[in-house]
Amino acid sequence: MSSITVTHLQKTFKAKRKAAGLGGSLRALVRPVYVSVEAVRGLSFEMETGELLGFIGPNGAGKSTTIKILTGILHPSSGEASVLGFTPWKDRQKLAYHIGTVFGQRQQLWVHLPAVDTFRLFGRIYELDDRDVERRIAFLSEAFEIGDLLETPVRKLSLGQRMRCEVAASLLHRPKLLLLDEPSIGLDVVAKQHIRDAIRRMNQEEGVGVLLTSHDAGDLEAMCKRVIIINHGQIVYEDKVSNLKRKHLSSKMVEVRYAETVSSDFHLDGVEMLKVGHYGVKLRFDTQRTPVQQVLARLTEAGDVVDITISDPPLEEVIARIYQEANPS
Amino acid sequence: MRSSHPNAVEALVRKIPCPSTTGLDVHSALRSGRKTETMKKYWSILTTQVVNSLAYPGDFLGRSFSIIVFMLIFAGLWRATFAAAGTESINGLTFPNMLWYLLMCEVIELGRPRVNRVISEQVKSGEVAYILSKPYNFLGYHFSHGLGDGGVRVILNLLVGIPAVWVLAGPPPPPLGWVMALTLAFGAWVLHFCMMSLIGLLAFLVEETNSFELIYQKAVFVLGGMLIPLDMFPLWLQPLAKSLPFAYMMYAPARLFVKPDLATFWQFLAVQWLWIAVLIGVLALVYQRSVRSLTVNGG
Repeated sequence: MSSITVTHLQKTFKAKRKAAGLGGSLRALVRPVYVSVEAVRGLSFEMETGELLGFIGPNGAGKSTTIKILTGILHPSSGEASVLGFTPWKDRQKLAYHIGTVFGQRQQLWVHLPAVDTFRLFGRIYELDDRDVERRIAFLSEAFEIGDLLETPVRKLSLGQRMRCEVAASLLHRPKLLLLDEPSIGLDVVAKQHIRDAIRRMNQEEGVGVLLTSHDAGDLEAMCKRVIIINHGQIVYEDKVSNLKRKHLSSKMVEVRYAETVSSDFHLDGVEMLKVGHYGVKLRFDTQRTPVQQVLARLTEAGDVVDITISDPPLEEVIARIYQEANPS
Repeated sequence: MRSSHPNAVEALVRKIPCPSTTGLDVHSALRSGRKTETMKKYWSILTTQVVNSLAYPGDFLGRSFSIIVFMLIFAGLWRATFAAAGTESINGLTFPNMLWYLLMCEVIELGRPRVNRVISEQVKSGEVAYILSKPYNFLGYHFSHGLGDGGVRVILNLLVGIPAVWVLAGPPPPPLGWVMALTLAFGAWVLHFCMMSLIGLLAFLVEETNSFELIYQKAVFVLGGMLIPLDMFPLWLQPLAKSLPFAYMMYAPARLFVKPDLATFWQFLAVQWLWIAVLIGVLALVYQRSVRSLTVNGG
């Protein structure tokens, strides 16, 4: 069963264009110039109940605009959308009882108050029973490891601590669907991992569906089962994350550091040398063309290895390649 | 926990036999339960804002003392005016009347809602996305938020201002004046809320609304009778000024504070709430239109 159905969604903004400097400002005052920006162009997709769906794309791709339309905050220029059976921009308040939202660069917690005060306020706003709110706060405190943070004024929390509280607050009313817009932006590795683990747990234990926008490949790989990549307001790729990894994440990067100077002659079929130095090399290869074992054997033969790192290429690079394949020009 | 589907309660209500056959008015019980939940929601926003306003008590108390400075300036100005006029009373108002009148005006001015600034900040920072994605009425949220904030400021300004004016001009007006003034002051606050919200909704289109607030504030200072009570306006201008909403934002509560009169009170109250009804209608219309043209910054 679908929790989100989007058909031919379109959103066009009118943006003021102004040249730089005082002259530009004065000209814009006398004769303002407006341009139409198509943030979302004929977007159509579905999301199943309880699904973990990643919605990714570069800056300005239309991800956040789509999320804001799906929460009912923005009205689309045309097209249809149904979220849990509601038309978001017509039934915004009714829909709000059933969804949770997190906007990574904004805050919903009252900064001067301890987070627990906002939690209790949200309990009233979502019309929850007071005892149920306390039980829920206790559960979320444990799931997000925020028990010792709840009594501290929010302004005194670190970004990672605050974001854990923000996501927990959005789950207070047991939403069926969680819409996360860049939840991991600006967080360190440990804070990201905390949030990813807790969201996965909420998905498994409470069946909450998650629609996530992110720039971070780690978010996608750690939390999502399916991915939609959009650019210029249109879908350019839609598949399971496992397929994306198999088809587009088959290359690996290896960085090796040697104890002594080594020869820079590393000719191997299917291997691209990214950096060659006297004490180390950095290379990329396709695991489907060249087995990992063969590359590692060649690298260890070359000298006494003191450190080795094997990693996936950054997702941005993978996305860029998909764009290029979709738009060869 | 709330029902799993918003229409489930209504569906259940339809299945319940007619109250006349059961002897139980389930429908009205559900309706009143819903109203209680809604009231609790907005009351909680108000009380949370009260606590939030007191986050920095030293700063808050410090700002309240500014009313003493204002009253000292007013006392100097009006003492000189009365001395120059060589009279004890100008258009029925004595010097003590004048100072208590101005205290009421100042308390209303300092306690009026700053909705436009809040909305403008939320639009510029993009936090309006959070406010709009919660299950409450956007303007209802701002009403409760503003009342929590303004209520604390009104109480503190009265606590600091009353002793100051008592020292400067003698004892305060009789209890009837307080009752009439505070009743009309609440209506004045609601009128301010409507106007400030209308200015605030402009933020959905233009983001920054400070200039509109400044024009509005000056109009209230002059036409609301804060600089000079409307009784001191030229005779031809008085009826016009008294027919505009500005008069019911300051002059009406302040005038009845110092010169309580039952007939005038009912007349002012009726005109004030007529303006409130008109402005709420305009506000609802403008909100419906402006929320469609909202763009959320960032993201």
